[in-house]
Amino acid sequence: MSEFIDECRREWRRLGVPDPVANEMAADLTADLEEAEAEGGSPEDVLGNSVFDPRRFAAAWATARGVTGPPPAPDRPSPWRPPVAFALTVLLGLVTAVAALMLLVGRSGTSIAVAARRFAAAPGPFRLLRPGPGPIVVPVPAPFTATRFAGVDLHPLAVLVLVAGVVGLGLVTFLYWTRRPGFRRHHPDGGGRSPRWN
Amino acid sequence: MANQEGRRSQLLRGVLDLCLLAVIEEGPAYGYEMTKRLRGRGLSIVGEGSIYPLLGRLERDGLVETHRAASNGGPPRKYYSLSPEGVRVLEAGVNEWKVARDAVDGALGLVKAEVLP
Repeated sequence: MSEFIDECRREWRRLGVPDPVANEMAADLTADLEEAEAEGGSPEDVLGNSVFDPRRFAAAWATARGVTGPPPAPDRPSPWRPPVAFALTVLLGLVTAVAALMLLVGRSGTSIAVAARRFAAAPGPFRLLRPGPGPIVVPVPAPFTATRFAGVDLHPLAVLVLVAGVVGLGLVTFLYWTRRPGFRRHHPDGGGRSPRWN
Repeated sequence: MANQEGRRSQLLRGVLDLCLLAVIEEGPAYGYEMTKRLRGRGLSIVGEGSIYPLLGRLERDGLVETHRAASNGGPPRKYYSLSPEGVRVLEAGVNEWKVARDAVDGALGLVKAEVLP
């Protein structure tokens, strides 16, 4: 019958029954079951048909005694969760894309500036057109100017940002997934926490 | 047959608390001891579900008092005894039961039927 008692304890823990009260109920039940067994009786003599449904029995007993803890938080998603998750995803996606671009284009600030100019003035489909003849002078934003980043190797920084972006995206996805409505109903133990009663 | 058991179960359900209070009135008892006392009086109410939730409700409602004491060679047990409020509720309940039983007897008593155990 230890399995029955263990199952009861798990249910009491889930319901927030204080440990001393749960221990007391488990001890009383154990003593009664042992006495019945010593007299040649069966668990059904003590528990009736409750012997087939320990969780229901444990819940009924704890509720009747009024020793259950506060009800679990309602499984209701916050209204701001989806927009925040979306904004975070977009932000992290942009950061990751910029870092990936930096790695693809070149290793230093100088090469970034040069690559940006080459890309804008490239022939064929990449050529930027403007009214009138003559070569195109592409203004490069101040942060990418050769003088500003000349000689500075941005490769390690780009790698760091890329890794952080990918990890952040994974984290946002994981948190959003595990906190979605219904996840806790299917994972009552919180998705991996080990029970206290063992 | 299943219908008979269902009706008996329903009839008992309304007076289970009184039955428990009545056996506790005999003297302080722990859970399984009460079950045996009830069985001794021909009531096997434990078959309908354990008495523990019902005892819990009686305790919560202040109808029984509890204390721990050693049993016969076994571990300390939780003994239940009637509180003053429990005594009052038991007396009132027994009176209500008798009134209800007499009324039902008045309606069903004229029916000739073989009484089955």
